[in-house]
Amino acid sequence: MYVRTVPPTDLNRNTEWFTYPGVWTTYLSILFISWLLVLSLFNCSSGMAWTLVHLSHFFVTYHFFHWKKGTPFADDQGIYNGLTWWEQIDNGKQLTRNRKFLTVVPVVLYLIASHTTDYQNPMLFFNTLAVFVLVVAKFPNMHKVRIFGINADH
Amino acid sequence: MIAIPYFTALTTYFSYGLLFVFGQFRDFFRKILDWWSTDNLQGYAPICLGLEDFYIRRLYNRVQDCFGRPLSSAPDAWFDVVERYSNDNNKTLKRTNNVSRCLNLGSYNYLGFAAADEYCTPRVIDSLKKYSHSTCSSRVDGGTLALHNELEECVARFVGKPAAIVFGMGYVTNSSILPVLMGKGSLIISDSLNHNSIVNGARGSGATIRVFQHNTPSHLEEVLREQIAEGQPRTRRPWKKIMVVVEGIYSMEGELCKLPEIITICKRYKAYTYLDEAHSIGAVGKTGRGVCELLGVDTSDVDIMMGTFSKSFGSYGGYIAGSKELIQYLKYNCPAHLYATSISPPAAEQIISAIQVVIGEDGSCRGAQKLARIRENSNFFRSKLQKMGFEVLGDNDSPVMPIMVYNPAKVSSFSRECLKQNVAIVTVGFPATPLLLARARICISASHTKEDLIEALEVISRIGDLVGIKYFPAEPKKQQQVGMLKLE
Repeated sequence: MYVRTVPPTDLNRNTEWFTYPGVWTTYLSILFISWLLVLSLFNCSSGMAWTLVHLSHFFVTYHFFHWKKGTPFADDQGIYNGLTWWEQIDNGKQLTRNRKFLTVVPVVLYLIASHTTDYQNPMLFFNTLAVFVLVVAKFPNMHKVRIFGINADH
Repeated sequence: MIAIPYFTALTTYFSYGLLFVFGQFRDFFRKILDWWSTDNLQGYAPICLGLEDFYIRRLYNRVQDCFGRPLSSAPDAWFDVVERYSNDNNKTLKRTNNVSRCLNLGSYNYLGFAAADEYCTPRVIDSLKKYSHSTCSSRVDGGTLALHNELEECVARFVGKPAAIVFGMGYVTNSSILPVLMGKGSLIISDSLNHNSIVNGARGSGATIRVFQHNTPSHLEEVLREQIAEGQPRTRRPWKKIMVVVEGIYSMEGELCKLPEIITICKRYKAYTYLDEAHSIGAVGKTGRGVCELLGVDTSDVDIMMGTFSKSFGSYGGYIAGSKELIQYLKYNCPAHLYATSISPPAAEQIISAIQVVIGEDGSCRGAQKLARIRENSNFFRSKLQKMGFEVLGDNDSPVMPIMVYNPAKVSSFSRECLKQNVAIVTVGFPATPLLLARARICISASHTKEDLIEALEVISRIGDLVGIKYFPAEPKKQQQVGMLKLE
């Protein structure tokens, strides 16, 4: 089964790979496979497994999308050095399809995690905190905002 | 339009994700270990941020032996590749004294001028003895020889423009001309897959840059209309000038540019056109005059034609061809002309002799033979590869053919296995190409014989089966059955 790709007009090699077909499926299948792994490794209930997946997803995506700035190669001469990956994607345009998808995924994960743990504390507290931080970080109004100067440029 | 099998796209993302995760783990542990050891920076800041060379350290260094292979002979159809070995898992590579004779499928040797040629080389040696190897001066000071003027006239006549100016290096031609022609308040619209020299020249010019979808004239028109209607970014004033930059043959796709449509659109909206013919001059077209001749575009419709001499003419340097007023302006203003050393005399003589061979002024028909041979070789090779089931990009008649490989592990293993079978292939991956679309690029030359190509096809087919890159179904062999019927 073949898909056709058209080269996008994004010159930033760090974010342009996200516009090709197959990314969303890979993302979702990585989440599902990690849930299966956690279930088989830790021998916990499925709700605990979803909570673990949700929280580790929070840590990983917060670190790579909203904390790390710049690009992993030097030949763009550092023009993106002040921008996190979330701010670089789609050339800074807000509310594109990719951004909406990436905002919906943590919310859906939160719903699954809290439903399968029957909304018990303390899992509910941590899950809610995680989804709150992630969704607020992805708001269009938070573009290039650094609260209290955390993670600002030198 | 590249058709990827969906499963291959998923596995490629997964492979890159795995490599990325491993790289991050190793960086994390390296940071912890380095916390305890002292650094020898002595108060200086580190040269690069740790994040900036992540790709080089953790992905490129793993497969470093596939790139930068040293050669020890001229890049003819067969050449000598120096063997290297590594004791620390490809972090450092050491050269040995052994060489292996390999078939050269990577050099931009389109017309076969890269090695000694019976007409060009005696002339080059004569000019080396007469003028010595360097002019040791810039064109403006004391570095203009009669040879340079002859070269510029020769190039202008060959390309079909009133005048031309030559520079010592092809990359520098793009990156120093664009800042001279465009400044603040101008607009550069460039194809999304343009070469790095154009991107850097455009960034260095200070003009506003907009990118249009690769080879899509309708999107170019959309971008032009939007930009002309909006004007300059904050002041909304009309643009001072608009230039559309495209390439003749795109070196990573092997595709020809849709020049007639793009020229029509540029004329309608009164934008200048800049055509970079680095890979197409001398290699396509009936008499080798490039993509304008091939597509039937009048050269007076393209405002600025740029090209390099390192691909088809076996030399180095670049040229810009245009109207007399433009070239005169560039001679007074371009920093590469005013301050950079002029092109070396033997190199200039090589270009003049090569152009004479191509046009036929040397009295033989070798030029026409070379052009016919490269066209036949390219079409033969491309059709055979497609029949075998490889996904090959590029249009017919283009001597550049990338074979899609996609997975990062397949890229490196394809390169290494081919080298073991004495076929030298250039593979390209991220970030020179998009993340998904890593490829092996083959450049056909007029000096490849049919036997060379058939041998290369066999090796590539065998290794393609081994590595698993035949993404399309192969065509069934009908010729064999017809042959058997004829014998009976």
